[in-house]
Amino acid sequence: MTAASRAPARRPRPAHLRSLRRWLGAALLAALTVLVVLPILWMVTTSFQAGEKMFQLTTEWIPTVWHPENYPNALSRAAFPTYFFNSGVVSVAVMAGNVVFCTLAGYGLAKFRFPGDRFMLLLILSTLMLPLEVTLVPTFLVVYNLGWVNTYQGIFGPLLVDAFGVFLMRQAILSVPSDYIEAARIDGASELRILWQVVAPQCRPALAVLAVLSFRDSWDQFLWPLTVVSQDEYRTFPLGLVKFGEYYGNPATEQMAIAVLATIPVFLLFAVLQRWVNRGFGLSGLK
Amino acid sequence: MTHTKMTTAAGASRREVVRGIGAAGLGLAAGAATARRARAQARGPVSLSFWTFENPQQRPWIHKRIRLFTERNPNVRVDFQYFPFGDLGQKLSVGFATGTAPDGFVSQDWFMPTWLSRNLLAPLDVRKLGYASGEAFAADFPPAFVEGATHNGQVYGYPLWFYGFCNYLNTRHFAEVGLDAERDWPKSWEELGEVARRLTVKEGDRFVRQGFKFAMHAAQWTMIQFNPIFHQCGGRWFDAQGRCTINSEAGVRAMTIRASIARQYGAEDPADTIATNPLPQMDWLRERCSMFFCHPIPPAAITSQNPRMEQERYYRPVQYPGVERGKGYSTTYGFNLVVNARAPREKQEVLHELYRFMMSDPADAWADAAPFPLARKSGWVDNPSVQRFPHVAEIIRARDEGVPLPRTTVYNELADQVHRGVQRILLNRADIKATLDGIAAAVDRATEAARRG
Amino acid sequence: MSTAHSARLPDAAAPDRGERAAGARLRRGGLRFGRRLQLVGAAFVLPALLFFLAFKFGPMLWAMELSLSAYDMVSAPRFVGLENYAKLAEDPVFRASLINTFVYIAGSTALITLAGLALALAINTAVPGARHCMTAMFLTNLMPIIAVTLVWRFLLHPFGLVNQLLQPFGVGRVDWLTDENLAMPAIIAVTAWRFAPYFMVVFLAGLLAIPKDYYEAAEIDGAGVVRRFVHVTLPLLMPTLFFVVVVSALLASRIFLMPYIMTGGGPGDATRVLSMLIYETGFSYLKMGEAAAISVVLFAIMLVFTVLQMQIFMRSERAHLR
Repeated sequence: MTAASRAPARRPRPAHLRSLRRWLGAALLAALTVLVVLPILWMVTTSFQAGEKMFQLTTEWIPTVWHPENYPNALSRAAFPTYFFNSGVVSVAVMAGNVVFCTLAGYGLAKFRFPGDRFMLLLILSTLMLPLEVTLVPTFLVVYNLGWVNTYQGIFGPLLVDAFGVFLMRQAILSVPSDYIEAARIDGASELRILWQVVAPQCRPALAVLAVLSFRDSWDQFLWPLTVVSQDEYRTFPLGLVKFGEYYGNPATEQMAIAVLATIPVFLLFAVLQRWVNRGFGLSGLK
Repeated sequence: MTHTKMTTAAGASRREVVRGIGAAGLGLAAGAATARRARAQARGPVSLSFWTFENPQQRPWIHKRIRLFTERNPNVRVDFQYFPFGDLGQKLSVGFATGTAPDGFVSQDWFMPTWLSRNLLAPLDVRKLGYASGEAFAADFPPAFVEGATHNGQVYGYPLWFYGFCNYLNTRHFAEVGLDAERDWPKSWEELGEVARRLTVKEGDRFVRQGFKFAMHAAQWTMIQFNPIFHQCGGRWFDAQGRCTINSEAGVRAMTIRASIARQYGAEDPADTIATNPLPQMDWLRERCSMFFCHPIPPAAITSQNPRMEQERYYRPVQYPGVERGKGYSTTYGFNLVVNARAPREKQEVLHELYRFMMSDPADAWADAAPFPLARKSGWVDNPSVQRFPHVAEIIRARDEGVPLPRTTVYNELADQVHRGVQRILLNRADIKATLDGIAAAVDRATEAARRG
Repeated sequence: MSTAHSARLPDAAAPDRGERAAGARLRRGGLRFGRRLQLVGAAFVLPALLFFLAFKFGPMLWAMELSLSAYDMVSAPRFVGLENYAKLAEDPVFRASLINTFVYIAGSTALITLAGLALALAINTAVPGARHCMTAMFLTNLMPIIAVTLVWRFLLHPFGLVNQLLQPFGVGRVDWLTDENLAMPAIIAVTAWRFAPYFMVVFLAGLLAIPKDYYEAAEIDGAGVVRRFVHVTLPLLMPTLFFVVVVSALLASRIFLMPYIMTGGGPGDATRVLSMLIYETGFSYLKMGEAAAISVVLFAIMLVFTVLQMQIFMRSERAHLR
């Protein structure tokens, strides 16, 4: 770096200019944020619109007439309460499965040395290249052979453990000081107790991330339930929503109402766990 | 593809009235007698599974008939499941693969070859369905329906509903542009284009109203709407060797007609059509287009979307245009009641009884599922409630004069290929002949693969 | 779960002395205690491992076997050798889908990475309200994909919101989802909209982990914003960047729902990707063997990214053990 280029940069800017720049930046970022979330706002506002508004050229951001009845109407079109319930059962099961099994495996891989441990870790990581989209046909045959077609466990079974979850928990548990574990072990605590009372509390941020992401991904599942469910009582909401537009009197505005309802649970879970999630993402330094 | 919704109260009194008429139908009196006998029979409990497609009218009617049957036969339990129209075929395939296929189901007629070529269906005994003989059975339907349900001289499907498409006109739009729908409805494809052009209203590059539009959203609709144009041009889907001949001169001519409404007459907006609604007839119901080819539309569905249109009756269905003026016809397609070949003997027996019972009251089927016409001729057409139904003559004529969809084991591949070809031609201005060549080659590959099994 | 976060990577890179010490103690702790702990450790991993055997490796081996058979799900599978692969090689729809898949992976990976990084840098300016902006943008990542696709299908309609917003700039009617040249870019854009905010958070974690004094030193050296970014931020962010690229590529290679709902693979075959083709070939055309062969091809593509992913992991592990 030359001396010439160094000189001007050293001159401090006047304070008011700095503050102006800051607020200008804030305004720009806010504008950008609005632009990014605009589709979400559109979804919400459209869900309160009259059906025929969908065919107009202009977007009416605040409905002149609100139609909250879109929500009860939409819910009554098909068995949406059942579909949401099914999605809830499946997603909670997937979340629980991931939290339990990924933590167990993560603990085993992070704090124990045994022959083949490294190989096991690589083996688990390698399943990242085997998503359900790839193994759809044989996975279906496995689930069928288990007698799980048209059951809840058939839907959530193949989603119960995710390699990323194992990896996430292993990395989190690595940073738990082994001295704590040793101390508990010397005190005679059982291994499960150590995991539950010593390790897990230290990993709350990672667990929160795992919970939110696994819930979201299960809530999102479409292809798998489409393949494995053939009875209405086990359909999940995405299956219902895709077919929603196919019948008379199902206006797009009501479709948006279902979309809004489908979004709420994930947002809520995120809101509840947000404090931990932010730390889990390594954002504790963020002002 | 989807059907239509009409809220119908299945009034018991009306059912009783029409039952008398229905019983006059061929062989039905005998059917009723055996039904009574079946009820009296002492039998162990039988558990059946039955699948059908979802439709706001037809599915509830089937469900109702099954419920009534199980009430009369307390030893029979039926697990009733239904699927979106487009998913039923795939669900059945998976079901057959895994042994979870239902004992009985409603099969779309274009899937019959798929099941029959793999011996998945049990032959039906038409006498147990209430017909005196095979001839009596065959005589109760237009020949094309029975043909599609027959394999090596054996009947495998009991045709339930079959219908053709009509051209639904908005007669008020006709009047607006100085046309009289009764006289000026398009009888040839050129007339369709000319009339559609007059009916079109544009604002810059935006269509306020499309004069006419083809459906663009699903392969099945593409097939149903294109199939008769191809036939009218003298085309056949396959030659004697089983090669796909959509790229023949007739095919090019038919596809040129198909594309002309947009390309030549500028009277439709395919990009808008594909992007809006999974229910293509919605634009017609909302008067965003003036003419649309559709299966029978229930008046209640029109009321639910556009009450004025139904009140003032400013619509009417007419027959398809023709390559030869006035000789147009549409596709006729439908649904068969079938029995799984793997269902145990006893269940097959009970399914025969169930199907006979379901069909023992065809006027009730009309009452609940009008205006979807039944496949059979007997037992309902003369009923005053049918005769009084608006435009019923056009609906039945479309059913009787239509051509069936190609009956082939590679139907899905064919339909998908045609659909994508139409997209390329209409949305991306692809060359018609080259596109049809591509379709034919792909279908031939599929046929070859199917042959090798 | 589709994505992990790299925020832990810096942690992993930081040597955990406590654990190494524990390892040393274990080795000293005598055989019996060690053997017991070995068994306990393996027992913890066992449930997950069994799960992966049953639902990942088992099905994959099965798929490989199926890919060598003709199987219509009804009659028994029949061995046909490499015939299915030969059929794919001459099938234009497969070729188109393969190219589309690569375009989709490349396009969405690039856009996700760039947008994610740009958003993270914007948030990292720490202007007032930045944190709330981050939270708001992250919501797009939590919106169910099915809702995302349905909403965007309307927004991208010839007369939808996107064209409405572009109108003042003199842009006429654009048929985003029905023009064969625009449909794929449109779907890539929607994919980026859904996933970029997630990687924004990942990048942000990477940015926050860069010590402030590095910047201060650069500033004292007179480096401008661009130079600071190129010489300080980028090199230190490299591991995160690499991670984001690989993970978003893995994510993109399995995408199904976005094209399935928004275009159905069309117009023509313009947006058909391999995952759609697997479903179609298997469950619509009942060619399970051919579908399995496509699965193996898709698997091979993902293998590349998975090996890359493992290399990142191994590198961080080596740093960890150093």
